[in-house]
Amino acid sequence: MREETRREAVWQFLTYGFILLGAVVTLVPLYWIFVASTLKESEFLSSTDPTLIPGGNFFNNFQSLQARDNVQFVGHVGEMTQYVDLGPLYFAYDFWNLWDMGAIESSIFVAGVYTILSLLLCSMAGFAFAKYEFRFKQPIFYAILATLILPIQLLVIPLFLLMSQIGLTNSYWAIILPWLANPLGIFLMRQNMRSIPDALLESARMDGATEFQLYYKIALPTMKSSLAALSIILFLFQWNLFLFPLVILDQGKYTIPVAINQLVGAQRVYYDQIMVAATLSIIPIFVLFLFLQKQFVSGILAGSVKE
Amino acid sequence: MATHDSLSGPDPSIRDRLRFARQSVSERMPTPGEGIVGYMFLLPAFLLFGVFLAFPILYTFYLSFFRFEGVGDGTLLWIDTEFFSYQLTNIADLQFVGLQNYTSMFSDALFHQAMFNTTFILVVQVPLMVGLALLFAVALDASFVKLRGVFRTVLALPISANLVAYSTVFLLMMQDAGLVNYVLTSLGLPAIPWLTSSFWSRMTIVGAVTWRWTGYNMIILLAGLQNVPKQLYEAAEIDGANRIEKFRYVTIPQLRPVLLFVFVTSTIGTFKLFSEPVIINGGGAPLDSTITIVQYIYQTAFIDFRLGYASALTYVLIAIVSVLSAIQLNVGGEDSA
Amino acid sequence: MLHGAGIAGLAGLAGCVGTGDPEPTDTGGSNNGSNGSGSSTSQSQLAGSAEVWGWDVAAKAMDLIDEPYEEANGGDVSINQIGRADLKDKFKSTLLSGSGAPAASMMESVDAASWVDTGSLRDISGWLEESGIKGDFVEGKWGPLEKDGGTYALPWDIGPVGTFYRRDVLNEYDIDVESVETWDQYIEEGKKLPEDQYLLNLPSNDYDGLWRMMLRQIGGQPFTTNGAVNIASDKSLQVARILKRINDAGIANDLASWSSGWFTAFGNGTTASLTAGAWMEGTLKAELGDTSGNWGVFKPPAVESGGSRATNWGGSNLTIPAQVSEEKARRAWDYMEYTLGREESQLTMYREYGLFPALETTYESEAYDEPHEFLDGQPAGRLFAEIAPEIEPYRYTIDTPEVTNAINSHFRDMMAGDKTPKEAVDAAAQQVSNRTDRDLA
Repeated sequence: MREETRREAVWQFLTYGFILLGAVVTLVPLYWIFVASTLKESEFLSSTDPTLIPGGNFFNNFQSLQARDNVQFVGHVGEMTQYVDLGPLYFAYDFWNLWDMGAIESSIFVAGVYTILSLLLCSMAGFAFAKYEFRFKQPIFYAILATLILPIQLLVIPLFLLMSQIGLTNSYWAIILPWLANPLGIFLMRQNMRSIPDALLESARMDGATEFQLYYKIALPTMKSSLAALSIILFLFQWNLFLFPLVILDQGKYTIPVAINQLVGAQRVYYDQIMVAATLSIIPIFVLFLFLQKQFVSGILAGSVKE
Repeated sequence: MATHDSLSGPDPSIRDRLRFARQSVSERMPTPGEGIVGYMFLLPAFLLFGVFLAFPILYTFYLSFFRFEGVGDGTLLWIDTEFFSYQLTNIADLQFVGLQNYTSMFSDALFHQAMFNTTFILVVQVPLMVGLALLFAVALDASFVKLRGVFRTVLALPISANLVAYSTVFLLMMQDAGLVNYVLTSLGLPAIPWLTSSFWSRMTIVGAVTWRWTGYNMIILLAGLQNVPKQLYEAAEIDGANRIEKFRYVTIPQLRPVLLFVFVTSTIGTFKLFSEPVIINGGGAPLDSTITIVQYIYQTAFIDFRLGYASALTYVLIAIVSVLSAIQLNVGGEDSA
Repeated sequence: MLHGAGIAGLAGLAGCVGTGDPEPTDTGGSNNGSNGSGSSTSQSQLAGSAEVWGWDVAAKAMDLIDEPYEEANGGDVSINQIGRADLKDKFKSTLLSGSGAPAASMMESVDAASWVDTGSLRDISGWLEESGIKGDFVEGKWGPLEKDGGTYALPWDIGPVGTFYRRDVLNEYDIDVESVETWDQYIEEGKKLPEDQYLLNLPSNDYDGLWRMMLRQIGGQPFTTNGAVNIASDKSLQVARILKRINDAGIANDLASWSSGWFTAFGNGTTASLTAGAWMEGTLKAELGDTSGNWGVFKPPAVESGGSRATNWGGSNLTIPAQVSEEKARRAWDYMEYTLGREESQLTMYREYGLFPALETTYESEAYDEPHEFLDGQPAGRLFAEIAPEIEPYRYTIDTPEVTNAINSHFRDMMAGDKTPKEAVDAAAQQVSNRTDRDLA
């Protein structure tokens, strides 16, 4: 027995060590980004003397970031110029004008809407591929998978053309709609949903559930952790999108990556402001992750299937 | 019971249980109206896909057989029926060249270089990253670990860092006098020319990409781990399996679909690598050793304005990656869809 | 069952769907021709509003002229400031997809040839002739902006090259720039500096910039008039040899240009001089403000004794996309004429932001005689104004990026000693020829 507890201890030690090492390596560059945002640019860039201690310049850098006239990073209170009284719509209009959206708000809004809508679509499609048989299932799946490979650079021009024909230029929908059917999401859902026991679905069918109820009441709840993972994937996908939003959006609606790229000016890069922006933009993701951590619980309920 | 040689394979009773678990995935009991229902669930996704992605995909394919001569007044598509007429004009002056775009690829040395670079990075990076992600996922799933949520969040954070910012930081860290070499030399190891040697600059890209994406893949694998029925582990323990055996005979097989997902998507993702080499290596330095295939396509399309050739390159890329993914899926044992 | 109906239905539509120009319907009716010369007599209205794109300092400069323009000519011109790389991506996308382009946009001369070649820019030669201002601009600017008799942009600024140097460093080591006439002499002077100080920087990522500048100085051309690759010419070889000599003399630093280390080296005097366009002064002022007063500038050394000391690095123009409506185009042209063709506008932009006008008629102005504090009171403007009219034209083409790549990679080999200058230029020329289907000159 002594042997076992000792082996156990060794495992625990190794595991903790491994995790801690990973955490340190992960954090160093992120920490550096944070430290950079608190330094003056010249201090940060002298690579001969890497400073790991934060300085006090954060607010200065933040102010120069906000002072830029070609990109607005964090929004500010807008001007309420017109009061339109359409009865119940009065409030809505005012509210919309209350806050001039900056890049952070735009990104959060777009990524949030996209994630929710795409979660629905991808889980349904994944469910179809995982649990149903239909003609052309294989080819359709491979076709969808193939679109994963398309580099966005080349899609930009035809997509832009399409959007201007439809009249969606400079609209958030232009960057939400094209990839709502996210092949990555569909693929993930399909792989994860395969582990839903068919017996579970069968017994539900025999109890008279409709197919949609199977999806809604059985598949989704058991896939909580996968859905959480999918949310992260979708949110981050939209969050980091750069080239197409650059081309199709105008300044007022820039998302974070586009806004940060504006800081790479004509000849030089405004490093201090970039680092501030980068630090600030990690915060929403951090919050999202923390929120989703609760969902990472085992989905398959033990004993729900009679063996 | 007692100790058994881990080389002799799993206990028969574990095998039975595993067979049961696998069966529940591949067994299909037909139900009425199943064919249509599948399509119904698929419909919204497919519709959106068709509306938005079909045109760009088809147009790119169409373009790959032409040479782009300039923006023109020509009509691309006209529809003229009784009810409705529509014209898509002003697209491009195109010169039909048949398969010439495709054949030019054979003599394009820079294309070959880009393919080589991308493949090299891929072969090193994907197994490394997937392996690490798996180990972290398993480590964080172990019940004895405190503060799991915190560690999971920390490890997954890199993907949230802005591309420009993190590439810049890596650029600075990898300088000859930067942080990484500083650490190496204080440990008594030689400083490495991270940015000036062909080999090491590719490794720098490998390092940056691995740093960025491991946590992300870990999250996905973690979610998959949650779907492994606990009974299987319990059964294995009863049969006397130790940690490594549990990992090998329960975890991996159960995780196979998700592992495959991570493998395939990482491969595809690395093929699409674009921004990091541009920022960290200034677009392919030194000596074009880190120019990636998508970078090359971008250059061909946006700088050289050779849209036809770029389209052809894209489709060749699609073909290669599709084949690779199909191989991976088959080798990984995807029995049926 | 569904299949049959579907196919029949499609067949019915067969006569109604197609690619390529349809005979019955009229095509290209409302779309603009890309030729402005014919319509200049139609006196169409000026659009009420127009959008102009520019980056960084240039956009800010345009902001200065915006109000005076609106007061003088009415209308509402809005300036959209977009980061340089992003502006190019965005603008090119709108050009290539045929929609979404602004009324006018900034365009660098180095990109001009390839952008003009896409056929997506408007020919303004008609309006240009009407206005009669063509001759007011530096001759050498028009080259890349013209094609097949049409003119596609209006010149804005140029980058007449000067060699900026640190007075304090050079004085300390007794280097007298007045006595320097040729590169070889400059190299000799450079040897007076100690081990860890360098006379100039040879960036391994940007050899092509220096090469191009010097080639232009001696009247070299990268392509012949019929488009053959000419970068292995004797002139190019001469330049390559000089660059090699600079490298071998040990007087050059090798930091990547525009990197933080590059700036720092100028700041602390490790690198003592920089040969660049006039606009570099503005950048140095912004980055290294605390070295103000320690700099000076002199005409870049000649390649050979008695040779020209005039060359150019950089410079932009304003261009109008072809897809834009007639009215907007007229408004854009009106704005361009006011901003770039009038001496006061150009001089204002020069005074505030250091954008050196391509408008030759401004060179008489006293604005150029003002002392530059950054340069210890030197009236640098006059120096550049002297250089500007001497600048030779230069033949950029759509394959200029290929030349850039080829020069950079083979010059790297040359600097490392793996190739002689002759081999380097020959290899570069061969590479460009292979990749572009052009002949060797």
